[in-house]
Amino acid sequence: MGDVVVANGLRKRFRNTVAVDGLDLTVAAGERVGLLGANGAGKTTTLLMLLGAVSPDEGTIEILGCRLPRGRSKAMQGVGFAAGYLPLPDRLRVHEVLTMFGNLYGVDDPKHAVAAGLERFRIAHLANVMGAELSSGQRTLVGIVRATMHRPPLLILDEPTASLDPDVAQRVRIGLRELCEEDGIAMLTTSHNMVEVERMCERVLFMKEGRIIAEGSPSEVAASYGHADLEAVFLELYGEPAPHDGTGPDGEQEAARW
Amino acid sequence: MVTRQRVLAIVSRHWYVLLRSPQRWFDVLIWPLLDTVLFGALGVYVAEAGGAGGKGLAFLLAGILLFHVIFQANISVSVGFLEESWSRNLLNIMTTPLTELEYVLGVALFGLGKLLFGVSVVAVTALGFFSFAATDVGWGLVPIMTILLVIGWAISLFVIGLVLRYGPSADILAWGLLFLVMPLSGVFYPTEALPGVLQPVARLLPTTHLFQAARDVLDGRPLPWGEIGYGAAATVVVVAAGLAFVLHMLRVFRQRGYVTRFS
Repeated sequence: MGDVVVANGLRKRFRNTVAVDGLDLTVAAGERVGLLGANGAGKTTTLLMLLGAVSPDEGTIEILGCRLPRGRSKAMQGVGFAAGYLPLPDRLRVHEVLTMFGNLYGVDDPKHAVAAGLERFRIAHLANVMGAELSSGQRTLVGIVRATMHRPPLLILDEPTASLDPDVAQRVRIGLRELCEEDGIAMLTTSHNMVEVERMCERVLFMKEGRIIAEGSPSEVAASYGHADLEAVFLELYGEPAPHDGTGPDGEQEAARW
Repeated sequence: MVTRQRVLAIVSRHWYVLLRSPQRWFDVLIWPLLDTVLFGALGVYVAEAGGAGGKGLAFLLAGILLFHVIFQANISVSVGFLEESWSRNLLNIMTTPLTELEYVLGVALFGLGKLLFGVSVVAVTALGFFSFAATDVGWGLVPIMTILLVIGWAISLFVIGLVLRYGPSADILAWGLLFLVMPLSGVFYPTEALPGVLQPVARLLPTTHLFQAARDVLDGRPLPWGEIGYGAAATVVVVAAGLAFVLHMLRVFRQRGYVTRFS
């Protein structure tokens, strides 16, 4: 299989703000790609366009060979999506939520897929818990099971480990990586955790003001900016200048701001 | 392509919600019961005061029975969609293969069950408390109820469109929109009782002709196919307008990125 995501010339404007500005993006089958950038860089808007939830003003999107928006339903059969900020539907137990989504994704044996998914991320004990009673970390884990239970060729993740404890986040990273390697699943993920991205992704794209400003393997991108890791690249690209000692001409104002 | 598996997944999701939400039974149990008692008692009082007699009571009870057909059809689809909004589940659902048609079919199918329950509550209460047997009206009510059911679903398309455009805070329209239609439709009275300026508007509505047809049947007259035919034709127009409206709002929703309001 060739590319699972092919997006060309994507543009999206919300009133006076240009969220995405002429973005070209491809993800090959089985490739793990990190979409990085500061808040407001256009990462989530890009993901939502790839998922068909937001329509681009300009540009074309093909997911798994299906052109959006017409082929959205067929394309989504092969896509799993999870986001750290997404809740679970109210008043359903975890296994009921997952079974429902298994049916929406057309899984042949949802019961078995639910059990296997919960087991993979070591949360089988949550099967009968009501969705509303889960901690935010547990909810995120269930969301990841939901996104992966139909073994999609493409996983799209928005801040998947944002609300997780370090040990749980590590479990998620390992689970996702294993899944991707076993099944050849491609992954497109956003994250603010640069260490996580270095461990999970083969290629990273840094976005700023809706455009891609750096692209390559984590080590290539870090080296191109003269740094050892992506954290330092991120700080160079988006970081505020460090405060000085407040003794300059505007020292008083400056000190008050900090 | 519509798949049964996806439609039934939506049905099961709403069944669980209804099962575990006592407050949701208000629409299907308490409200129909109270409406029947309220309008039945009013009919008895009017009859005793020398008004329209037994016919008045029958008109009121048949009116409330038929009103609950539209009400339950509308509420089940509208509230089904609002449930996704209240539980911020819209983005979860929109990123699955589920199509808009499958979603509406799922909530409408689930709503049919609620409708049967709600209308049965009205029928049983009317029989038990006021000796009004809906079955005595005869088969004439079947085409009238069927068209009213479709109108209820069509109104819910407008509600969904408005919620997509204006966000979760527009949920009041799920109930409010129907109460704009109710007084104009002559649910309990002929539209001649309305102020003159409203009568032409009332005559345009399919619901007006269907409620009038029901009163004709209750009066012992033959089924007025003219009224039913107009009601059916106007319903086709309302359904087409509802579909066009909701599809337009869905386009606007995607263009303006409103999904973030729901997640």
